[in-house]
Amino acid sequence: MKRRDFIKVGAGAISTLAVGEMILLSPDADAGIMDWFRTTPKLYGTRKSYRRASGKGRISNDYSKATIVKGVCLNCSTVCGIQGYVIDGKLVKVGGNPEDPNNGKSLCAKGQSGPTINDYPERLLYPMKRVGKRGEGLWKRITWDEAYNEIAPRIRKAMDEGKPEEVAIQIGRSRIAEEMNRFLGAIGSPSLFNHRALCSSNKRAANYVCLGETDWETGDFANAKYILNFGSNFYEAHQGAIHTAKRIIRGRYDNGAKLVTLDVRCSNTAGRSDEWLCPNPGSDGAVALAMGNAIIAANKHDKQWLDTWSNVGSDELASWIRAYTPEWGEKVSGIPAETIRRVALEFAAAAPRSIAFTNRGSGAHYNGFNADRSIILLNAIVGSIGKVGGYCYGEEPTRVPPRVFPQPKPEPPRVTATSLIENPPEWPLANKWQRMKVGQIVYQGLKEGRGKVQVYFSYTVATPQTWPEGRSLTVEVLSDERLIPFHVCSDIVYSEQAHYADLILPDASYMERWGFDTRNNMELRDYVTLRQPMVQPPAECVSFVDSMIEIAKRVGPDTAKYFPFKNHEEWMKIRCEGLTKRVGEDGFEYMKKHGVWQDMTKPQYYDLYAWELTEAQMKDTRTDERGNVYRKAADGKESIVGLMVDGKPRRGFATPSRKFAVYHKDVEDAAKQVGFTEDGGKGMPTYFAVPSIEKMTNEMLHLVTFKWNVHTQGRTQSQKYLSEIVHHNPMWINTDTAKKLGIKSGDKVELTTYRPHGHQMKNGGEVVGKAEITAFVTEGIHPRVLAISNTLGNLFHGRAATAKKGKRQQVPGWIESLDNEDQDLVEDIWWDPKNGGTGAGYNVNAILPIQPAPLVGMQGWYDTVCTVKKV
Amino acid sequence: MSQPRTANPRWKLALDVERCIGCHACSVACKVENHVPLARFRTKVYYWEHGKFPAVKRNFLPTLCMQCEDTPCLKACDNKAIERGADGIVRVIPDKCDHLGACETACPYAAIGCDENDVADKCDFCSHRLDANMEPACVETCPAEVFHFGDANHPQSPYSLFMAKHGDKTAVLKPEEKTFPSVVYKGHEKAMESKIPKGKVHDPYSYEIETWTQLESQFPKKNRVIWAKVEQTVPGAKK
Ligand code: SF4
Ligand code: SF4
Ligand code: SF4
Repeated sequence: MKRRDFIKVGAGAISTLAVGEMILLSPDADAGIMDWFRTTPKLYGTRKSYRRASGKGRISNDYSKATIVKGVCLNCSTVCGIQGYVIDGKLVKVGGNPEDPNNGKSLCAKGQSGPTINDYPERLLYPMKRVGKRGEGLWKRITWDEAYNEIAPRIRKAMDEGKPEEVAIQIGRSRIAEEMNRFLGAIGSPSLFNHRALCSSNKRAANYVCLGETDWETGDFANAKYILNFGSNFYEAHQGAIHTAKRIIRGRYDNGAKLVTLDVRCSNTAGRSDEWLCPNPGSDGAVALAMGNAIIAANKHDKQWLDTWSNVGSDELASWIRAYTPEWGEKVSGIPAETIRRVALEFAAAAPRSIAFTNRGSGAHYNGFNADRSIILLNAIVGSIGKVGGYCYGEEPTRVPPRVFPQPKPEPPRVTATSLIENPPEWPLANKWQRMKVGQIVYQGLKEGRGKVQVYFSYTVATPQTWPEGRSLTVEVLSDERLIPFHVCSDIVYSEQAHYADLILPDASYMERWGFDTRNNMELRDYVTLRQPMVQPPAECVSFVDSMIEIAKRVGPDTAKYFPFKNHEEWMKIRCEGLTKRVGEDGFEYMKKHGVWQDMTKPQYYDLYAWELTEAQMKDTRTDERGNVYRKAADGKESIVGLMVDGKPRRGFATPSRKFAVYHKDVEDAAKQVGFTEDGGKGMPTYFAVPSIEKMTNEMLHLVTFKWNVHTQGRTQSQKYLSEIVHHNPMWINTDTAKKLGIKSGDKVELTTYRPHGHQMKNGGEVVGKAEITAFVTEGIHPRVLAISNTLGNLFHGRAATAKKGKRQQVPGWIESLDNEDQDLVEDIWWDPKNGGTGAGYNVNAILPIQPAPLVGMQGWYDTVCTVKKV
Repeated sequence: MSQPRTANPRWKLALDVERCIGCHACSVACKVENHVPLARFRTKVYYWEHGKFPAVKRNFLPTLCMQCEDTPCLKACDNKAIERGADGIVRVIPDKCDHLGACETACPYAAIGCDENDVADKCDFCSHRLDANMEPACVETCPAEVFHFGDANHPQSPYSLFMAKHGDKTAVLKPEEKTFPSVVYKGHEKAMESKIPKGKVHDPYSYEIETWTQLESQFPKKNRVIWAKVEQTVPGAKK
């Protein structure tokens, strides 16, 4: 190929790319690498630098020379506090930040793998501009100045046309949403397209409905006696996994707690639970209601708690739940009625030290919102909400409290522009309590013209890989320059997202940039952590926030005025000023030194709803004969702000009734608004079947996905020590089912998936896609369920992710860059198919249909139905 | 983090494996800490799934060098390239090693590997971290508090405290090898000992299905752990 004389090829060549030079990045650009490989010297690159002078044995880290820098992990959403050990300007190791209240010195495998991100020889190092067709992979290195001048005028144009909403940012778990909201706020755009509906919006909505003020509970696991886990795999992948696992291990082995897990697949959590219950997919809500029924029927419910704190009292609840008997539960879930009854009564007997909680196993279904409400209700039935060892929650668990870390003034005004993609009316609860959105419909929306974009940014996301129908609809829209005229991607490595961009901005890793973080704290206090650069990013990498600040300054004075600071560092410094008086020293220095601040001024969040209102809080209120405390707002509207309980005014729940909401008017209204009737239309957490599942024929099976403990959706596959452990994802199938179909482990099978039926669903029953996959026969899965992990099958992200060993690239001058080459990747990717290895696995998201659940819009990841046959 | 130690420490480790969640953090921490190349593990976590649906259970077994008192690798090396310190740690002396490979063949625990590109390599309880008053990398990171490591000569070390409470419930792996390991386990599944190869270093195959049920078509027998039934002797409970 003649082009190769002037065009460099492959992600590895990035390190030698000069301004104006071109590079070809495409999945098969690596052909011919073996020729070079034969002349490989014995020892080179980073591996050589670790060797002792004699060439024998490796040099050990000399920790007497190490500087410790605090930070926050972002290899998954658990965001553990970390500390980096920097020796001679290099980050050699990370450990847990012992001061972090959630994880302490512990990190998971992904967290430990962090330093390999910084060193990855295939990192993006320079801004690049597309010069070939979109998606062809032909790029030219440009300067940052050129990059900014490509972007800023286009944003200006959208603003001048009065279409600010056509500037959009597509994000994954970025942890800089506040910064992005300010950037988009300055532009006047609401179009922050996030991934919450692909993650957890049903669970979050359920918590909001019931508790009113939080989207994420904090089970007091270390003090619990009974833990009833509906579909969370916290030993491997739950948000807050390590924090939860650590407490549950303590609860079980130091405190004698019993753990019961419901899951359709034997995860590490299920396989290590005291009991694994394997319900039919989508039936978690039925099991929970049947358990509630069993507890109430046996008169083991906490009547007093319900009559005091629940908006549906004990008698009313008893008559409502009467129909949901364990026998009915058995019919729906396949779990024997006697098991449902026994577990329910064990759960009630341990109360209030008992917790029933959820995650994607219960929530990622068509009926997941109600399933999660029913599960949370179990805690209310036994009165364990907010109790020591019970289902607790805090005031500000998932946001950086603005009362402590205020945003610098002036702040952009409230955005008035709207977008039907950002706020789709078909799912009225998606943005009700929090802007969770319906991320999986973005591309459909663009294709159907329900919204437009002029400038489309993408960050910490790989939608072609992680979105349902990613390799079809997503790629189709990302490739279409009429639908997305200008796509800017900020990333660490050349990802599937970057491949479809017009401009690539090389980002800094989470160990090289600034940022705040927080999540629910298992110690039941508000806390905030600080990300800071442990080392400087390589070459010309710039953190995306710094890029946004620079872009905002170039768009015009009307956007620049909201960014009166040099860079992200100065922005963080200003926000830390509020902390100074609390900690008695410079707030920014405090955060840099400790990496974490915890609010010790409030008591731990036990019994939050029973906290007494202060005199100041009672000012200008009136109390009626039922004990409701009212206050008039400025607009004259009166609302309940507290409850009189035991003769004292108390905070209650942040729901409209100030009570735990079994019934919720907003849910009833939302269902009416969109004509959704399957839930009975009464705003109660009823059970209804998943239509696609109801319509399954006998030969159809369920297809579910899962996450390994060493991988996060799209961002870990390029980390060699993680992909070494898991790089292949065969399809799990139950032994009996496999026997009937004549399938053995290792057989190739063909999988066909079908479109869903139900509310707002079109073309139910049509084929979505087919895949050829290797089968893995196991006892550890429901007989009618197939499972494939969702994290593999990368086309990009370099050699570790794609299982292609060999040198980075065949380019002149490559020998000069040998020093930063990693011999592991050249020679030792033993799972490369060229070695007879299994390769890098399959991307199963490609054949999963887009299926937003009613009202909330969460992706029904586990509602997919399929057929399978041996090939 | 530093911990109580005497002037002449004797390093030992007790693993409470019932707590283990199989997360591989110990393995990855070790690889980053010690620049362990791909395809090699100083410490590995084995998986075992057993039972009939739905009564399926999974067990994990994190393994590493047992720092044996009667040291097969040391005895096997003609170059005397392996030594056992007064602190109980078995170490390779790199400049004496000509990668003869006898150590690898002699080890019953797959804990030492030798290849032509480097010298013999094994866990040394992260001696350089102990020198800096830090815990071994695997010990520090474990989210499930499986590892109880410390100076057996100091009564307040995490190891001594754990053994005082649970010592009678601990056992060594493969007691029939009579190597007197410095590493003991509480609550491990005896059957899993046969997953740890003898006479060759750990396979790189990890948690993947190939060690759960073997796939002959993709993973030829010669490349993988054979589930040979090792005759089990009654584990001698170590006090
Ligand atoms: S759980 Fe692991 S990957 Fe996630 S934040 Fe913690 S250490 Fe990082
Ligand atoms: S003590 Fe150090 S060398 Fe040994 S297994 Fe643990 S991390 Fe690896
Ligand atoms: S780090 Fe701890 S919990 Fe994780 S696999 Fe190792 S021993 Fe088990």
